[in-house]
Amino acid sequence: MGHGDKGRPFKKFKAAAKFDDSRKGFVDDDNAYMGDDGYDDDGEKEGKAKDFSKLELKKDHANRPLWACGNGRIFLETFSPLYKQAYDFLIAIAEPVCRPESMHEYNLTPHSLYAAVSVGLETETIISVLNKLSKTMLPKEMIKFIQDSTANYGKVKLVLKKNRYFIESPFPEVLKTLLRDEVISRSRITSEGAAGDGFTISKTAGEIEGTHGELLNEAEVAAAAEEKETHSFEIDPSQVENVKQRCLPNALNYPMLEEYDFRNDTVNPDLDMELKPQAQPRPYQEKSLSKMFGNGRARSGIIVLPCGAGKSLVGVSAACRIKKSCLCLATNAVSVDQWAFQFKLWSTIRDENICRFTSDSKERFRGNAGVVVTTYNMVAFGGKRSEESEKIIEEIRNREWGLLLMDEVHVVPAHMFRKVISLTKSHCKLGLTATLVREDERITDLNFLIGPKLYEANWLDLVKGGFIANVQCAEVWCPMTKEFFAEYLKKENSKKRQALYVMNPNKFRACEFLIKYHETQRGDKIIVFADNLFALTEYAMKLRKPMIYGATSHVERTKILQAFKTSKDVNTIFLSKVGDNSIDIPEANVIIQISSHAGSRRQEAQRLGRILRAKGKLQDRMAGGKEEYNAFFYSLVSTDTQEMYYSTKRQQFLIDQGYSFKVITSFPPPGEEASLNYYHLEDQLALLGKVLSAGDDAVGLEQLDEDADDVALHNARRSAGSMSAMSGAKGMVYMEYSTGRNKGQAQMKSKPKDPSKRHVLFKRRYGS
Amino acid sequence: MVNATKGVFISCDIPMAQYIINMNASLPASEKFIIHILDNTHIFVQPHVEGMIRSQIAKFREDNTYVKPN
Repeated sequence: MGHGDKGRPFKKFKAAAKFDDSRKGFVDDDNAYMGDDGYDDDGEKEGKAKDFSKLELKKDHANRPLWACGNGRIFLETFSPLYKQAYDFLIAIAEPVCRPESMHEYNLTPHSLYAAVSVGLETETIISVLNKLSKTMLPKEMIKFIQDSTANYGKVKLVLKKNRYFIESPFPEVLKTLLRDEVISRSRITSEGAAGDGFTISKTAGEIEGTHGELLNEAEVAAAAEEKETHSFEIDPSQVENVKQRCLPNALNYPMLEEYDFRNDTVNPDLDMELKPQAQPRPYQEKSLSKMFGNGRARSGIIVLPCGAGKSLVGVSAACRIKKSCLCLATNAVSVDQWAFQFKLWSTIRDENICRFTSDSKERFRGNAGVVVTTYNMVAFGGKRSEESEKIIEEIRNREWGLLLMDEVHVVPAHMFRKVISLTKSHCKLGLTATLVREDERITDLNFLIGPKLYEANWLDLVKGGFIANVQCAEVWCPMTKEFFAEYLKKENSKKRQALYVMNPNKFRACEFLIKYHETQRGDKIIVFADNLFALTEYAMKLRKPMIYGATSHVERTKILQAFKTSKDVNTIFLSKVGDNSIDIPEANVIIQISSHAGSRRQEAQRLGRILRAKGKLQDRMAGGKEEYNAFFYSLVSTDTQEMYYSTKRQQFLIDQGYSFKVITSFPPPGEEASLNYYHLEDQLALLGKVLSAGDDAVGLEQLDEDADDVALHNARRSAGSMSAMSGAKGMVYMEYSTGRNKGQAQMKSKPKDPSKRHVLFKRRYGS
Repeated sequence: MVNATKGVFISCDIPMAQYIINMNASLPASEKFIIHILDNTHIFVQPHVEGMIRSQIAKFREDNTYVKPN
């Protein structure tokens, strides 16, 4: 073991000792430098592995904003005067793990570094800037790690030419290395019977690929490399995804550069569109765009902005810069309309150049370039189509798109993504999302399906800037009543547990109180979310409020939403999970959540997103200086039930973004009690009887089958997932227990907590 | 005639009392430990079960607590 363990004081700078010591603590799943011994379950050792107190402080450390630790973790002080610069830099090179108010935690990973180089940062720059900002001397292994991770970047390029994919590199030996890989060599298309390792060599910057060359010896290789020649071989379009995956840092480590030199693209016709002068991108929107267009070319990747922060403007601006045909994919028909509207609102695109393609409106654009807005479903749909849409889809397939704009990338099932991406040929892909969290294991895929994460905004900074609403989050603890809890505990009621804790009379009363308070005292607009249909109907009927759920017809939805937006009498609506994504209700500023989908962090974040777009006009929001909180997010939880577990879990994403949940324990306040429903025991018992007599199906979760457009809301399989390869953040590994979604009921957590997963502190407490 | 029984007096909140009652009900008759349910929040039980009740409740509470994986 290292020197630290023997208790020898660490006095002077000793390169070797230091190296050894912190190396022990260096943990990275991809390149495990050390055995598992430093990382067994023993809490003591675990504590030591994260002990970096021996790192040498620089003399002027007080002026520097961050701590860099040997295990790749970086901690940033947000109160430092250099915070802004440091943040911009860190977000480019590392993955945010947790961002509370005063101290941020970041993780340096191969993927985050890959993203960093892909936005144009060089290895030396990364190291020197990091060193400048760090309070401590940079740990040696961090430097080495950065160098290792970035060394191979940019040597291989993936190019789309005339609807064929080529892998290009100025170094034939690199291509040979790649071809030694089975996956890649299988997906290679050997054109015109060229045998062996004949690469296509193009003399100039990729004009005509005609000459074939057998590269046999080193001399030829050198000669070839000298005259700016690029070697390339063609790959099967359907295999592009696999090839990309093989090239990622955790496999062959030759991450492919996917850039689109749209200014010099003479093959594809230009599209005449500009941003309107009144479209003023906000600073963070500018920044995310500058990451995308850093070197005058367009990079593929994902931009992460909170809901309501203006993702669509970023998308439209990107399309305006590229000025080529653009295919915009949204999750449902409603957002297709919204995207088409946004395009017309922010850009000078002519009406005939933009068209929507949904099951209801099949428009076709005239001319040879244009914007098509459609849904993932429409493109990926495998069944028989009408003749009209078959024609349009054929057109989409055959076209070479300049930009593939993908909204809400986190919600689309991976297989659908695959299909969309293999069907459409695009030079550049831009994914937009608010919550880069997926409950299935497929988050990893986004990295090679689209590209690295280009930018991620800090929610709290946007709140401070007045760009999104300042939300007060609260968890309201509602104790179970005696009768409900007794039933909850009975084994034979295990399928009704959810209904029992949702219908807890105390919860109902808290909800009723909150609605009354916000309607009468503040004049707010309230959305109440309930995943459980039984609860939704019960609550809505009892409180006499309108509700929308999956089976509500389009006409009725529109009518209710219209009333909610305009009428003074309709201030509260009840929504099932159809409202999570698709329904845009900018007026609302209070959310009360009475039931939810088990532990879905994404749902929590999306629901919060419904109120982030605060009320008021753009100018009002920009101005800032309003009351402290202008939006409220209440999550009602029945204490002593599973809901407590789910609730805490759901909050993790928002907590990582720096939100804090205030716990409220005494609702309704004394004095108000008698005025609310279910004050009398007989009412409560009647309700209990109703819950118990309802069939198991009726009290389950809502199934949204008829809502074919809402790909977001069904078909999701939930299982253990890891964010790691997507974002690279090893710290952001969220476990999901399989909830057997299609059984219609959030199931009981099957096993007790694995003691080894307990936090160090708890382990000590339980002595396990 | 006065009978003196030694036992443990438990004072807890309403749901936990229900939990203990449920626990008692799930045991076979020979192992039942509740001597008397005094009211919603107070129970009188046999002295030897105190530790068992404590650990059961601790486990129950922990199952309902989410700890962020590290």
